[in-house]
Amino acid sequence: MLTFSNTRRINYPMLLRVLGWLLMIEGSFMSIPLLTCIIYGESDVWAFAAAFAVTIICGALMTFCIRPASPSMAKREGFLLTASVWVVFSFFGMIPFMLCDTPIGVTDAFYETMSGFTTTGSTVYPTVETLSHGINLWRCLTQWLGGMGIILFTLAVLPMLNYSGGMQMFNAEVTGITHEKLRPRISQTAKGLWSIYFILTIILFGLLWLGPMNLFDSICHALSTMSTGGFSTRDNSIGFWDSNYVKIVVTLFMFLGGVNFSLIYKGAHGDLKAIWRNDTFVAYIKIIVLSFVAFVIAIATAGKAYSWEDITIDPLFQIVTTMSSTGLTANNFETWGPFVLALVFILMFFGACAGSTSGGAKIDRLLYLLKNTNNELYRSVHPNAIRSVRINGSIMSPETVDKVIAFLCIYVMVIAFGGILLTAIGIPIVDAFFSSFSCVSNIGLGAGVTGVGGMGYDVIPDLGKWVLSFLMLIGRLELFTVLILFTPAFWSK
Amino acid sequence: MKIVIAGAGEVGSHLAKLLSREEQDIILIDDNRERLADIDANYNLMTLRGNPISFKSLKEAGVDRCDLFIAVTPDETSNVVACAMAKSLGAKKTVARIDNYEFQDMTNRGFFTDLGVNALIYPEYLAAQEIITALRRSWVRHWFELHGGQLIIVGVKIRDTARIIGMQLKEFAMTEHNFHVAAIKRKHETIIPRGDDRILLNDILYFATTRSHVDDLLDICGKTHHRIRKVLIMGGSRIAIRLAALAEGEFKFKIIENNKAKCRALPEKCPNCDIVQGDARDIEVLRDESITDYDAFVALTDSSETNILTCLTAKELGIKKTIAEVEDLQFISEAEGLNIGTIINKKLLASSKIFQILLDSDVTTTKCLAMADAEVAEIEVKPKSKITRGRVRDLSLPHGMTIAGLVRNGVGMLVSGNTVIEPGDNVVVFCLSGALHKIERLFY
Repeated sequence: MLTFSNTRRINYPMLLRVLGWLLMIEGSFMSIPLLTCIIYGESDVWAFAAAFAVTIICGALMTFCIRPASPSMAKREGFLLTASVWVVFSFFGMIPFMLCDTPIGVTDAFYETMSGFTTTGSTVYPTVETLSHGINLWRCLTQWLGGMGIILFTLAVLPMLNYSGGMQMFNAEVTGITHEKLRPRISQTAKGLWSIYFILTIILFGLLWLGPMNLFDSICHALSTMSTGGFSTRDNSIGFWDSNYVKIVVTLFMFLGGVNFSLIYKGAHGDLKAIWRNDTFVAYIKIIVLSFVAFVIAIATAGKAYSWEDITIDPLFQIVTTMSSTGLTANNFETWGPFVLALVFILMFFGACAGSTSGGAKIDRLLYLLKNTNNELYRSVHPNAIRSVRINGSIMSPETVDKVIAFLCIYVMVIAFGGILLTAIGIPIVDAFFSSFSCVSNIGLGAGVTGVGGMGYDVIPDLGKWVLSFLMLIGRLELFTVLILFTPAFWSK
Repeated sequence: MKIVIAGAGEVGSHLAKLLSREEQDIILIDDNRERLADIDANYNLMTLRGNPISFKSLKEAGVDRCDLFIAVTPDETSNVVACAMAKSLGAKKTVARIDNYEFQDMTNRGFFTDLGVNALIYPEYLAAQEIITALRRSWVRHWFELHGGQLIIVGVKIRDTARIIGMQLKEFAMTEHNFHVAAIKRKHETIIPRGDDRILLNDILYFATTRSHVDDLLDICGKTHHRIRKVLIMGGSRIAIRLAALAEGEFKFKIIENNKAKCRALPEKCPNCDIVQGDARDIEVLRDESITDYDAFVALTDSSETNILTCLTAKELGIKKTIAEVEDLQFISEAEGLNIGTIINKKLLASSKIFQILLDSDVTTTKCLAMADAEVAEIEVKPKSKITRGRVRDLSLPHGMTIAGLVRNGVGMLVSGNTVIEPGDNVVVFCLSGALHKIERLFY
């Protein structure tokens, strides 16, 4: 007979113990930039050695000194762990930024790390070219780890979360409305997704290395492109190389980064039909094609089409970098006129497919919204008609549709709230809303003072950076996982 | 091992939850989305919406590569058809739940094997057998036989007649060498006891012992064995009919059934039983049937509440042994705390039976019996494992587990602090739910 013990209190010891494990994983990731510094003979090696030691020791202490009375992790522990692990990772991950030869303050370092883990990709460094190789690699590595997900990585490599508690965390971290499982067990699903991600990153690295990029830049850009993060080792981002080959390769992989990884997994296992049957994927391509046409017309009418690249690869690059929430830049899109800026706004809002590494509200939700709106309009003419929202061939329950609509409302409210807070700090209104929007959507593009022509996110005051860091976290974990922690119902016994 | 379960009813979902904690790959098919949603979000398994008797959904679930296909939808015909389809697609072994006794008859087995159904589960039959075991040993709450009866686990409720009340377990172990108290169920909690825990009134004690010593427990726990002869059954359900057919010679049955049409049909199915038409919830009816003359009362109506309450009434009227069928899983824990002798649940019986079939087909997995919030596992000890490194008392074994006994060369024996466990032994371990995966490490 099977009954579950109803422990209503949150199991903090177990929570800390799992956090300890996760910190040791972060620590081992830190050894990669540490090695890089040794190879390049850079003095930042001490910054990484210190960060590595602190992280590993803290992790080990938490893991081996805390003996939880029960190993059970329920729903609430799942939410709390998932939200806190991203914050804790950022606090430890910022140590190298503060101790290196080009040190920055706590606020900036935290912002930079959070921007990395959430794959936002907006940076506080006015110039990144003076940074050491180790620091640049660490920035890109945080994006790569955060892109697919910290919890998902842990589920793939550590068997200890492979129980029902792990399910909660999987649901809390992976983006999307419903969470598709590829294989019966959660660890197998996580392994499947991570191996696809890993293989794509390796292929991208190879392709970039074949082009004009050197070894180090190829590694960094492979990591930050696949995760749709957008950190670059150059101030001009992809524009530095001014190479169509690089632009095309990066565009292709940013596109892949915006596709649902379970779909890529199925495609890689021979189920090509599933790809074309997937409504979201088809919509993703349609949106790219439509906005490409709109971009070209806008650029042509604005008289900015000076060469053939201006109406082919450049707009396409801009569309994909925006939709997939990467935020790598190859050209200054602000000069293309206000219409393009408005289009970028819309593309940023919905982002790419759920279950990908991209940010934004996700095309899946756009589809729900459109289909449901269509049904509502139809019903006002035929009041007795029964119509349902059908996605990928199956009918969605009204509860799911309600949840999506609620999500979109809260999403807009969070962006607006963030924007208002920033104006209170003294940031110009357009920039305030644009950066709030950019951070919630995890894209990290800037416009106006924060844009390519301006100073970057460095100009925002400290308080504003904390606000933006928090917005990035909310955006990455898709609202509910973070916001639920602020409801009294979550904490009540 | 890959297991596909068709039907997310109570048996199906219970089984899926049970198996998902055992490192098995579980795919659960049902055509009701709501039924799947909760399991999908909270358990480590995969769900698939689809009809179990559609080739498309079966293929989608990967039945062609599965080791075991279990059909437990409410409809027996669908189950048999689903199994036949799964087998033709390439499932290694299939199990179907049925509602018809004739199907289970050995002479008809060949027919089902030809169809592609390897094993049949008939919950009513299992329930009837469970009731017979309970009637034969009226003083026992739970009775598990492990390793073909070499070791027996007996659950006994401690009443004020027991002479061991208040005794510490280490004192008990000093005087009684043939028993090992493996678990104590106290109120809603299961405890894996240590030497300084005391035996309290109203505890249910789980003793591990061997067959030759079981009867000594009667004296220790202050129980008297009532030989049961006359049994009053409330509700002429399928279990009642099965029970009457299986044990008509051993017991004298009287069935009280409220439905007139059912009463008319009953004599044909149970020729040697007395049939009474009436409502057994009515004490007058029970008195008219001179309930005090009966040794046992078995409540088998469709309503769990009725069964529980009527059993309590029967106890008050002086019946020694009562058995209630409780189909609502939520009530079971509460009902066990009441003064009802044995609780029968078809779904749990069916799922643990399937669990056994499954484990028998895979020798590498530990055999496991899930009870309340503890688990009983039978584990084969591998050479050079940690557990063989010395006497049990010197091994500093983790809390929340106890080794109840072992089977060496086919002979069951108990384990004390001085026992040295050898490779090849089959060890019976009690542990708290969820701790099993930690403990397995000791044995490999």
